[in-house]
Amino acid sequence: MDRAKIYKNVKDINEEEFVLPGTPLCAGCGGLLALRLAYKVLGQKVVILNAAGCFTLLSTYPYTPFRSSWLYTAMACGPAGAQGIRDALDILIEKGSIPKEENLKVVVLTGDGSAYDIGLQSTSGAIHRNLDFYYICYDNEAFGNTGFQMASSSPYGSRTGTTQPSDAYPMATEQQKKDLFEIWRAHKPPYMATVSPAHPVDLSAKFKKASEYKGPKLFITLAPCPTGWGYGASRSNRIAKLAVECGIWPLKEAIEGKLKHTYIPKFKPVEEYLSLQGRYDHLFKPVRNDFTIKKIQKGIDRYWAPFLKLTSCKR
Amino acid sequence: MVREMLTGNASAAWGARLADVDYVPSFPITPQTEIIENISSWIRDREMNAKFVTMDSEHSMITAAGTAAATGARVFTATSSQGLLYGMEMLYTISGWRVPLVLVNVARAISSPITLEPDHNDILAARDSGWIQIHVENCQEALDAVLMGYKISEDERVFLPVIVNLDGFYLSFTREPVEIPDQKDVKKFLPPFNRENGYFRASKPVSRGAALLGGTGYSFFKYQMHLSACNAISVYKGVAKEFKAIFGREYDTVERYEMDDAEYVIVMSNSFATKGKAAVHIMREKGHKVGLLKLRLIRPFPADDIINELLNRKGVAIIDQNIAPGSGGILYNEVCGCLYHSKERPNILLSVIGGLGGKDISQAEFEHIIDTIKKYHNKKKVPIKPILLFTEEDMKVTNNIIDIAGI
Amino acid sequence: MIRVRFHGRGGQGIKTASRILGTAAFLEGYYVQDAPLYGAERRGAPITAFDRISKEPVLERGIITNPDIIAIGDETLLNDAAANVFQGIRKGGIFFVNTHYEASHILERYCLPECKVIVHDVTDITINTVGKASVSATLAACICRITGTAGKEALINAIKKELKSIELKDETIDKNIEAAILCYDKMSEVPIETYRFNPVSGPKIIAVKHYLPPKGVAVIYAKGNTKKRKTGNWRLFKPCINYERCVRCGICFVSCPDGCISLDTDNYPVIEYANCKGCLICYEECSAKAIETKREVRTW
Repeated sequence: MDRAKIYKNVKDINEEEFVLPGTPLCAGCGGLLALRLAYKVLGQKVVILNAAGCFTLLSTYPYTPFRSSWLYTAMACGPAGAQGIRDALDILIEKGSIPKEENLKVVVLTGDGSAYDIGLQSTSGAIHRNLDFYYICYDNEAFGNTGFQMASSSPYGSRTGTTQPSDAYPMATEQQKKDLFEIWRAHKPPYMATVSPAHPVDLSAKFKKASEYKGPKLFITLAPCPTGWGYGASRSNRIAKLAVECGIWPLKEAIEGKLKHTYIPKFKPVEEYLSLQGRYDHLFKPVRNDFTIKKIQKGIDRYWAPFLKLTSCKR
Repeated sequence: MVREMLTGNASAAWGARLADVDYVPSFPITPQTEIIENISSWIRDREMNAKFVTMDSEHSMITAAGTAAATGARVFTATSSQGLLYGMEMLYTISGWRVPLVLVNVARAISSPITLEPDHNDILAARDSGWIQIHVENCQEALDAVLMGYKISEDERVFLPVIVNLDGFYLSFTREPVEIPDQKDVKKFLPPFNRENGYFRASKPVSRGAALLGGTGYSFFKYQMHLSACNAISVYKGVAKEFKAIFGREYDTVERYEMDDAEYVIVMSNSFATKGKAAVHIMREKGHKVGLLKLRLIRPFPADDIINELLNRKGVAIIDQNIAPGSGGILYNEVCGCLYHSKERPNILLSVIGGLGGKDISQAEFEHIIDTIKKYHNKKKVPIKPILLFTEEDMKVTNNIIDIAGI
Repeated sequence: MIRVRFHGRGGQGIKTASRILGTAAFLEGYYVQDAPLYGAERRGAPITAFDRISKEPVLERGIITNPDIIAIGDETLLNDAAANVFQGIRKGGIFFVNTHYEASHILERYCLPECKVIVHDVTDITINTVGKASVSATLAACICRITGTAGKEALINAIKKELKSIELKDETIDKNIEAAILCYDKMSEVPIETYRFNPVSGPKIIAVKHYLPPKGVAVIYAKGNTKKRKTGNWRLFKPCINYERCVRCGICFVSCPDGCISLDTDNYPVIEYANCKGCLICYEECSAKAIETKREVRTW
């Protein structure tokens, strides 16, 4: 378990490691960093239910990076798998078949392709059943494990393997990113939050706070992806921070459905974030696509407008 | 021990109750629903100490069943038809996890067109999934097969999940007198599940289902599944022996009816075997040396037992209550395959398709099958195409509905 | 038939190298097969690709276990047992390594059978000419020349075709061609004794027995054993901490995706190089500029 009672700065973060090095994941994987940080709060008594995605390869027989348990399941059913384990542990402990010291936290680990699309039904089911579990979606905004094709998590204006820019589609991906957070929030789970691997204190505090609630504890973490997003691996955290500062990745939480932003960004122009990534190259080269860039910026402004009003009222 | 009028569904539910299962994930589908209604009531009334949960799909239900089994719970679940197909991905996944549990499939023909009554295309679609399959003929057998299923599945020589198949409508909603064994006898037969090693525990972490790349390790573990499934034949026979010793009922991998001096044999499975036995009885009274071989264990396929029963017969008809379009009857091909190397194999192996969508098979049709085998006896050329049991009257009915639908 | 097996790291252009070689030989009129082997590889992880080039139709498929040429795009792979780069190495075969070292050094250090070791610092030429370490065109050029399967014109056309298909800009493609021709001219054709299947030494088929659990079931009982994989071999650049500048802020510790940075008793960060993949997030994030980078060469 983490030692810190509250997370105020980096020094409060647990030094013990639970996800050990040597995984086959890409160098600079933002999702892996988020998982490592989350684990530092969750501790060792954990079983992970991994839905098919990039993280499938974390445990590749005969290797595992974990000091705790792991079960790999198919893409559609991470939360359903969590249900079976949670229920089995509960009933076995209740019947006295196993001692309660053997209890585990059940954690679903899933990519956005599963979370936003094929696994959404089983997630909705698990939230509805008030399953006591953690759900971590590492969101790299496309089907990353298959080589980066469009998912409903892919942002408007981004390039993926199946939404290449063309004369007819200068913006590349024409749909807006699905608002999974609000879909979840409609279920009113006890705790849910967005996090970023480059905001480790915020991330840790949220996992800590979540642990006070029984029921679904849902997280979407931004997962900067050097290969899919097209940038040098060293820039993962810089890009994650820009996503927050531009307001395109709001850091927020909702307790019993009540929404709160945990950080008000500096609202840098989104261009600063977009221009660092190959997946947005077509918006700048060979000619600048002002229409699409402005539309992305407007989307951000429209998202924040009501909250900023609220904040200024309070002031 | 008490005797009661029970439906096939209620019998299967009693099997789960007596097995003292810990966990029942569910999702309703006709004609399985009575099973989960019974079990949920018993749990709510504290007559069963287990956890019941309604999942969001069969895919999720089978997943939860598998993960609970991987956590060391004794798990029961049930589905039917489209549900089994919807969860098919997880059938394969869970058998690969090598965890024991019992799933009852209430057979129902597959869409499209969607229909309500049974055939075996649903359950036989799962034949290569690595699950052990026991197919039952009556309500008593349904209850007993669930109990035997746990004992086979939890045997470490097997460690594969088990499907018990019972026919929708013909068994699911049909009541018969069923002996409900005493709980203490069941405890003797089926002790608590040994969940010592390999389950998710804080003190002993394990990783299961990890990716395995490159074909070598994959081949090894897949072949281990095959060998474990093959072990299930001798394990089954041992379990059947113990079952007989405690409960008095005997269930071999195949059931022999009037087989001793039979020259002509009908091979079939599931509830329609009752109709087959009646037909055999009548034909015997008419002086025909006819017998019936019922297949009970479909996976593993009890080839040796089938070969033993079919050698030196003059002719055999395999009735498939399923159809593999472009190939014919599924079991026909399997029975033919196992007989190939025996010189004393029957002259004629006739493929018959009948009972699709729960369509009845009449006495006249059974007699037609035997007549057909006899017709081809001693002839060099035997048809390998399947015969569909479909009469002139059936054609009239069909023409009529097609007319109404308009062309 | 000439069988070429490329080894490199994901992101290095190994698949494209095999395609450039394949296309060049195809343009010269050969029967050709080329294929990458996809597995668990991620950017930086070992990757393999194959070419079969023949005057007759190619009656083989899949991985090449008996290559005539092994082409190593990244010298660190020689020390990575999992990459299995020496598989099928034999007398008369060619072992090409992209390295600073002399051929004699490699021959001695790895006790290779009497194969022909050819070395060339392809990365150096590529970085100097193209500015990036993707060696697809340059490595392919070396092998084209050594095998004699394609002339310059076919090579240039193949590079254009393949690099265009991965959406490189014309300007970058031209630089790659320039670097490739430099490599091509440095190499010379080497006669190759191609592998002949020897039916006597076939594998022995065994009857696999049944094993009870735990052996017969694919469950991992070990904990955290990925550490044994030594992903430190993936690095192209190495982060080095300058402790005189380090202010012990801990940012590098919380920024390392792989958990390769720990804090010592005085809260100084320590990098575990055995598994550090060289993503360099720590270098980028260090506000005290206390982390420097060094190119990984002569890792052994």
